[in-house]
Order: sequence, then structure tokens, then C-alpha cells
Amino acid sequence: MVDYELTINGASRTVATDPRRTLLAVLRDDLGLTGTKEGCGKGDCGSCVVVMDGLAVNSCLVYVGQADGAAITTVEGLASGDELHPLQRQFVDRWAFQCGFCTPGMLMTTYAFLGENAQPTPEEVRQAIAGNLCRCTNYRSIIEAVVAAAGERSPQ
Amino acid sequence: MPGESHSADQSPSPTQVASGYVAPETLAEALALLAAGPQRTIIAGGTDLVPAVRAGRHDPAVLVDLRRLGLNTITVEPDRVRLGAAVTFTDVLQSDALAAEYPALSQSAAEVGGPPIRNRATLGGNLVNGSPAADSAPPLLAYDASVVIAGREGEPEVPLRSFFESPGTTVLQPGEILTEVVLPRPTAPTQSAFYKLGPRLAMAIAIVSVAVRVTRDGDGEVAACRIALGAVAPTPLRAEEAEAIIASRGLTVDSIAEAAAVASQACSPIDDIRATADYRRRMVGVLVGRLLTGLSTGDDGRG
Repeated sequence: MVDYELTINGASRTVATDPRRTLLAVLRDDLGLTGTKEGCGKGDCGSCVVVMDGLAVNSCLVYVGQADGAAITTVEGLASGDELHPLQRQFVDRWAFQCGFCTPGMLMTTYAFLGENAQPTPEEVRQAIAGNLCRCTNYRSIIEAVVAAAGERSPQ
Repeated sequence: MPGESHSADQSPSPTQVASGYVAPETLAEALALLAAGPQRTIIAGGTDLVPAVRAGRHDPAVLVDLRRLGLNTITVEPDRVRLGAAVTFTDVLQSDALAAEYPALSQSAAEVGGPPIRNRATLGGNLVNGSPAADSAPPLLAYDASVVIAGREGEPEVPLRSFFESPGTTVLQPGEILTEVVLPRPTAPTQSAFYKLGPRLAMAIAIVSVAVRVTRDGDGEVAACRIALGAVAPTPLRAEEAEAIIASRGLTVDSIAEAAAVASQACSPIDDIRATADYRRRMVGVLVGRLLTGLSTGDDGRG
């Protein structure tokens, strides 16, 4: 067991754990942050994407030892109190989820992406979510929701 | 407290080694850790290693993390560009210097996994895994890249064309660390392009990948050609006979057709879940022809 210092959704957390447990396992099982989902467990589906030091990463592919000192944002960190993040609200308003399993990963991938590209085209969003599989909704409403969320933040 | 405090300014403690995971501060420390016992394995991005461990294909006793060694920089020097082994594919994609002089490498980086994979997966990791389908291998071969290996007896810089040995095997020995990829800078007008044929446009392992480069002399004649192939032999490889056809005859309709045919015979593909050997061989010819034609017309040949 080693102590790791992580900043999770803005709060410092110390986790005593085996360094070779995945960040995903620590988030879900140790910290109770079960919004992040495990799909394939090998980096193919994107359900477990969180934002680590500003970059979208597959948390199933990151050992907690690799994340020592990192700032992690999970889907639980998107809303401000009762106020949903614009991405979350647009996903709701546009039915950009059906079963919802891929949604946390979609949200976190596109949250990081909008940090790099504040006004993306639908094609750029399509490229950005190339590592996130959705099996039951449809990609179009997801892409529309991301573009709409970006539009909300456009300079007037 | 069950754990032990772990901060950036401490050397690895015995407890950390016992935990199976160490992130040393210096290259010397990393080499010493690798040499100190059996089954010690390097981890960089972890995108291949973590699932391999989980699936039971790999069982390292101690992982040595390279992240604190400063191997994540791209350095442009007068006669070469040095890429640290821990440079990620996102870093490659975001480098204007690489896009300007090594577009085939940037194009290959765009084909690696999806964005979250590219944020973690490293150039060095892509090479040391020894996959015949490594996306970065054909463009790096086409640019005459070499790799720098720390902890090696003798010459630390190894041409990439001598690096790959068989699927999953390279010249890298236990205890050695690939620290850098070195690209010579072009000294004459150069064009290059890469194409990956996969089952889909993202998150796919290549069925065939091809990189081509031509460099011209002062009269605009082709002086050198490189044609490198991925996923069609036990290692990434160059189609040297095909290169010689273009180098001697330039880019003409006939020379391109002949080079494409020769390249498709230079490979030794296998049947697997992604494609048959016959399909791969045919696609080598198609893609080599298409990319060389693109270079001859100024179109990039990738559309």
C-alpha cells in the first residue's frame, strides 16, 4: 500500500492503495464515484473516460500510481450544485442518451474537448468522440448536444 | 496509516519497490531499478501494458514508470529532431514543426486509437511493443529514424530499420530503455504521406499501413525514395526494391505501377481476423500506387 495524493473534482484526497489498481477502480470502489462506468476494461469503449490534468483519459488504462499528484475531474464534478453543466443540460434536452451507460464518458471526453476547441463543427465533435462507443442512442443527438453546449458559451 | 508518503523529491524507497511500482527521478535510477531484479518492466502511457497485465499476458514484478524522466519533449535541432520516448501521440499531433517536416508522422498519429488513447499512448511504447501494425513505424522508417537506447553496451543509437526483430520482439534487451526517437531533418525538397487501412476510421488495428517519401535534387528529380509497410510482415519493413525503382526512374505512371507491384510482392502478410493475406497483399499495391501518385501530382493521395 502506498499513499497517493489526488485532487478529485477540486478536493484533495489521499488514497492508500496498491499502485497497480486502476484509477477507475479507485474512483468507483474506494471513493464511491460510480458515475464513471466500466465498459470493456481495455480502452476500446470510452465509458470510463475522466479528465486528468486537463486531458481526457481512459481511467481503466491508468494505474493510480501513474496518477499520483494529478487533478481528476469525473462526471460528478461537472454540475455546480443543482445546476447542470451546459453539456449535461443539452444531453438531457436533446435526448442524447438512452440507456445512459456511455454518457459519463461522452460528457467527460467532450468537456475536455471543448476546453481545446470552444466552437467546434459537428465533424470536429465526431472526431473528438471517436474513442467513445454508444450502442443504443445515436451519435447524431450527442453531436448536436455538444455543438449546442458550445454555442451557449459563444461570445455575444 | 497503512500507506507510505510518496512525494516527487524522494528516491524510490524499498516499500515502493515492494509495492510493484516505482517512478524514479533520473534515468540512472531507472536503469538501476531495471537491473536490480527480474521481471522489471517499463511503463510509459500504459495503454498497451495495463490491459495486457489484466488479461494475464504479462506479469511484471516491478513497474518502472518513465514519467518523471523528462522524456516528453520534442526538440528541433539544426540537423535533426529529437522526440522523447514518452512523447504522446497528442503531442505529435499538436506539433507544428512535425506537421511541417514530417507530415506522414502527424498523419499516423491521427490514426492511433481515439483521443483519450492518444493522450496517454507514447511514441516509444508504440515502437518497443514490436507490433508489426504499429501506426508510427512506417512513417518513422520512411524518414530514416533511429532510436536511442540507454543502458546499452556500445553504440546507443540504432537505426529503426534494425530495431524490429519479430512480432513483439525488438533488439531492446531487458534493462535497456528506449529514450528517444531521432529524425534527420530534410536537406532537400521532400514530400511524404501515410495511409492506414483499418476496419474503421478510429480505434482500429491496421490491416495495412503504408508511408512513402520522395526527396528531390536541385533539378527537381527524385533523388531518394522510401516506401515503408506495416501489418503485412512479421515486422514493419521497407520495400527497398520498390524504392529503387522510383529513385532511379522518378515518379511516372509506369514506374509507380511497377513499384506498387514490387512492393506487394515484398511483403509476407498473414490471414487473421482483420483480413486475408491475399487482400493485404493487393492493398499494399493499391496504397503504394495511390500514395506515390499523390506525391507526383501534388495531391496527397489519401482521399
